[in-house]
Amino acid sequence: MISATKKWIFLKISGAILIPLMLWFVLNLISIYDQQFIEVKSFFTTSLSKFLFSIFIINAYFFSALSISEVFEDYIQNDKIKNVANKLLFASAVVIPLITIILITRL
Amino acid sequence: MENKEPLSPHIQIYRWHISSLVSISHRITGIINIIAITIICFWASSLLLGENNYEAINSFLNSFIGKFIILGITWSFLFQILSEIRHLIMDLGYGFEIQTTKITGLIVIFGSIIFTVIFYLIGKNFIL
Repeated sequence: MISATKKWIFLKISGAILIPLMLWFVLNLISIYDQQFIEVKSFFTTSLSKFLFSIFIINAYFFSALSISEVFEDYIQNDKIKNVANKLLFASAVVIPLITIILITRL
Repeated sequence: MENKEPLSPHIQIYRWHISSLVSISHRITGIINIIAITIICFWASSLLLGENNYEAINSFLNSFIGKFIILGITWSFLFQILSEIRHLIMDLGYGFEIQTTKITGLIVIFGSIIFTVIFYLIGKNFIL
């Protein structure tokens, strides 16, 4: 299997997984965004929310990194700039969710 | 090294269609969503700073601009979900007829707006 096919399959699987997670998160976001500190904190400290939020951000960054790299492929002509942009993209897709998960487990 | 391959899609050349509008909006909302998720990650992490420091964030989220941003994020997430479902159906080999692509494109555009209102009402316990 060539790498482009693998990338397409990962994109489709992560896209399908993201749909229910995004629906779950958007409903909860609307209900908590304007609440007081205690309510917002209690949402992020329940085991189920912590677990689903972690899966949500890992999957969202994975999916976005794959799909945004396609956008870079379409719009950036300079290979050097494209490589740097892709490296920054994939690094942030690992670092941001990792740090967030570490921090919310300390809540 | 400069790549001589043509860039795509040529949005300045081709006439706009529902499909092209949904396609470019799918890309734009994809980028908006990852920026929004990054902000949400910072928001969740900011809870570690304690209740006093959260006051400023809470006042912002309760302001008109804050509510507008949350509504915008909700629409962007829902647009991406509907558009992704449309793509997954197309990947299964359905919905390629011109008339069908127009209808499913319109469902994505108007459905995302309608679902934003419904989700906001459900989230705020106005319905259900």
